[in-house]
Amino acid sequence: MAKIVILGAGISGHVAASHLRRKLDKTHEVVVVSPNRNYQWIPSNIWVGIGRMKSKEILFPLAPLYKKKGIGFKQAKVTSFYPEGDINEAKPYVLAEYVVGEEKGRQEKITYDYLINATGPKLNFEATEGLNPGTNKAYSVCTYTHADHANEGLQSLIEEMKQGKEARIVIGTGHAKATCQGAAFEYILNVEQELRRQKVRDKAKITWISNEYELGDFGMDGMLLSYGSNIMKSHEMVEMVFEDRGIDWILGAGVNKIEDGLAHYETLSGEQNSIEYDFAMLIPSFSGHGFKAFDKNNQDITEKLFKGFMIVDADYSPKPYEEWTVQDWPETYQNPNYKNIFAPGIAFAPPHSISKPRKSPNGTEIFPAPPRTGMPSGITAKLVADNIIDSIKNKNESLHHKGSMGNMGAACIASAGFGMTKGSGVSITTFPIVPDYKKYPDTQGRKLGKTFGEIGLAGHWLKLMLHYAFIYKAKMKPFWYLIPE
Amino acid sequence: MTKRISNFKRFVMMNPIIQFFKFIILSIKVLLIVAGGHGGTREVTK
Repeated sequence: MAKIVILGAGISGHVAASHLRRKLDKTHEVVVVSPNRNYQWIPSNIWVGIGRMKSKEILFPLAPLYKKKGIGFKQAKVTSFYPEGDINEAKPYVLAEYVVGEEKGRQEKITYDYLINATGPKLNFEATEGLNPGTNKAYSVCTYTHADHANEGLQSLIEEMKQGKEARIVIGTGHAKATCQGAAFEYILNVEQELRRQKVRDKAKITWISNEYELGDFGMDGMLLSYGSNIMKSHEMVEMVFEDRGIDWILGAGVNKIEDGLAHYETLSGEQNSIEYDFAMLIPSFSGHGFKAFDKNNQDITEKLFKGFMIVDADYSPKPYEEWTVQDWPETYQNPNYKNIFAPGIAFAPPHSISKPRKSPNGTEIFPAPPRTGMPSGITAKLVADNIIDSIKNKNESLHHKGSMGNMGAACIASAGFGMTKGSGVSITTFPIVPDYKKYPDTQGRKLGKTFGEIGLAGHWLKLMLHYAFIYKAKMKPFWYLIPE
Repeated sequence: MTKRISNFKRFVMMNPIIQFFKFIILSIKVLLIVAGGHGGTREVTK
């Protein structure tokens, strides 16, 4: 009987665990290892960060749910991988250290037949000097605790603005190669609306700062999209929204140092600039977790498993931007060296960025890393789970389920303000996520009908509906599996 | 602040009745894109 160990209980890990448990009989063991006690629906963090939603509304504890559903749960963090076992343990295992309770600090070898690494990214705040959420007036909305802090900072500034203070708010990316511009985009629009709601908008200057070459790049090289009866570029759409909301922008900026109320950045033209602020929300760069791997003789084999993030079935051979193709992107998320290890979601090493790489004259790379948001994370986790289920049932390796980001659609329902009648959303869908310039040569690599933008109240309702639907699904309530990833 | 969205367009964007129908259409379009399938990109040679 098989034992499947899943590292991480975010969107990807939780989706994989829930599908495995539903489709495999109880003779097979499904175990989740995560240092976090709660599941959190990250896309709603932006509403926590402006105080329109409580953090308890976007999370729930994992242990009771997993106990009820027959999924093993170890609140522990993995430190190293032993995909061949060792001299004392014949089975492959991961070494994990418990993080809470009486067992805190105790290490355990967790053996497996199949391993799903869904550990996501490390929020690499250290890569930018002085960027530490809640200090130097700079915040993050990457986790619910960060979002709570951001809201405290924002509300305190709003109180000062009510007393007459003129303020500068800076929102965007906090590193030359940060990604997740979509979250910052949502947050800046929500903050702008919150200032209007609290009648202090005229006291604030709001600035978008980003490593993007153009607005609307979002780490996906921008897109050509249909908007109503028009066809426009994503930068035109975002420019329209920002100008209409009175938000100015700084592009091609690699933030490299944060001081109290001061962000230093280098531009693509090589200039070293800085901007003062009273409140900032800057997305950090993402990195791998720095895991180590060892063979059965305890020799370091980290390079067989990791390249920052985990190595999967992608084409990692270095080549110029002009030669990149969608075929470089992974389809099954299987590690080529250890076929029983998979890395869906954000845990896999992308073959390259999606946005065109750009360097300043000083040699600093300033461009977004590829985004891998909730939707592809869920889809890739489910296909990995399905392949493992087929392999177990057929008693033979089965990789029929495939999902390349070059043949997968995604929807970014970006909140542009909260409220049942005053809210707004910028809905952008894209197909495929990674542009396929051969298949769609005249539309910048994307299929137009499936790549569209929409602005309005309906977008807010849709995002709110997705919030409730996905929390319902994550709680594995009746017929949860009918809701697509 | 530069007015880039006309009053009529803003009315359409924020009118709850119009937006209700938009919501239905948008939900279906998003569902079709997301649940409409995915796959590989490499040709299989046997």
